[in-house]
Amino acid sequence: MTITATTLKLNLGPQHPSTHGVLRLILELDGEKILSCEPDVGYLHRGMEKMAENMTYIQYLPTVDRIDYLAGCFYSELLCRTVEKALGIELSLRVKAIRVALLELNRISSHLLWIGAFLMDLGAVSPFFYTMRERELILRYFEKLTGQRMMYNYFIFGGVRKDIEHIDDIEEIIKILPEKLDDYEKIITNNPIFLSRTKGKGIIEPHIAINNAITGVNLRASGVNYDVRSNDYLYKNFEFSPVVINEKDAWARYKARILEIKESIKLIKQALEILKKEQSLNQNLINPLTIKLPDGEYYHEIEAPRGMASIYIKSTGLDKPYRLKWRTGSYYSVNFLRSLLVGEYLNDAIAIFGSLDVILPEVDK
Amino acid sequence: MNTDELQKFINECKLDGNKICVEKNLHETLDFLLNNYSFDMLKSITCIDLSNGQFELIYNLYSTENEEDAVISIKITHEAESIADLFESAKADENEIYDMFGIKFIGNENLKRLYMPEDWDGYPLRKDYIQDDTRLAWNDNNSNNA
Repeated sequence: MTITATTLKLNLGPQHPSTHGVLRLILELDGEKILSCEPDVGYLHRGMEKMAENMTYIQYLPTVDRIDYLAGCFYSELLCRTVEKALGIELSLRVKAIRVALLELNRISSHLLWIGAFLMDLGAVSPFFYTMRERELILRYFEKLTGQRMMYNYFIFGGVRKDIEHIDDIEEIIKILPEKLDDYEKIITNNPIFLSRTKGKGIIEPHIAINNAITGVNLRASGVNYDVRSNDYLYKNFEFSPVVINEKDAWARYKARILEIKESIKLIKQALEILKKEQSLNQNLINPLTIKLPDGEYYHEIEAPRGMASIYIKSTGLDKPYRLKWRTGSYYSVNFLRSLLVGEYLNDAIAIFGSLDVILPEVDK
Repeated sequence: MNTDELQKFINECKLDGNKICVEKNLHETLDFLLNNYSFDMLKSITCIDLSNGQFELIYNLYSTENEEDAVISIKITHEAESIADLFESAKADENEIYDMFGIKFIGNENLKRLYMPEDWDGYPLRKDYIQDDTRLAWNDNNSNNA
């Protein structure tokens, strides 16, 4: 009997727990070494862009939270801000502070879920319970404020649906979180098993990341200082320094997210101070039923938890957009797998894919 | 074209807001901007059906070195030059545009159905995709009924 060397085609997903939704990776393997990777997406395609062309802006607003259900606030903010920019509406300081506080809380909850899920991918189950416990506090707060745990639909054109309440709950959360983060770091950051699974794995060189349009934490963990928040109108009154580290590997992306949560806590503290000083809401609400964007093109971008997200709207002066396009960070991360996984081993593939923090509804739109 | 000619070509392009509208030489223009002005990140490519048989492609470029944006726009009919050899990320964008608008990118060999099933007919984000449903606002002929 002769043994011939052949390669094996392996379908990872679409129902694999570590694909965080419905992603199918078609891997070609030589032993355990990956020769090629072909992502197959579209299992969750809902036609968000086509839907927009047949809906008025207020009809469309509740659906945009579903683009990334772990960080819905960011997409509401994108749509609201673009409409506000087109109609020349300015936001009051209190509304800006409310939005920053909620965006950052949402970012923390998203990162917490990622830490848990990432560690679960690597085989450590207990951190998942710890991070979900803290995330639950944030979700409870959002439920109290907006009535929703994930898809908040809280921002509206010109302001927010109602004034912020239960600020002491947020204070409680940001008081507890730093201690809990220290706890996570004690059991995760220098854990030898975790280090051997992530250190030096999935190294992304900065110029390759830029060429593949990788943004957000993944880019900053490769040492490139690009954070949309630095130039964002919302964050103008806030002191903020982007988290940039130079390790470039999966471990760096974990560390960067821990540091980002700490940075977010600082931003929330500043927002709460503004909220205490600035008591009047001063909203510039417009009648949502009569919104018509002037003829033209509008573009806005924001730093979402999974990379830079942007929206493009072309309007012909009607109450519905002529064309609406979303740019999401995860889409580029998934396409980057094609070159990133080649030459890696199958058991590292999950760790590398997990470290990019991909969410599938954002990929499929 | 050499560097001076390209610089002149770009300078003479029409501006629409902050958009630089090129009529041809898309690949050369982006190559020039990448190498001479370090516009090294292609944030996204947006395609718009202009409903007159033309499509507009908008390229959002960013320079991580100078922290600057550049927007390039080109009008095409059904084919465009691929820039996948300059920007890896363009492969993803071009594939999405092929799936949704049916535009062929010459030089990109890997165009295939992405969100839609492989045997799907038509290109959903085109304005003439559905013609017989009077409830749909994107259908020009029926917009009064919407």
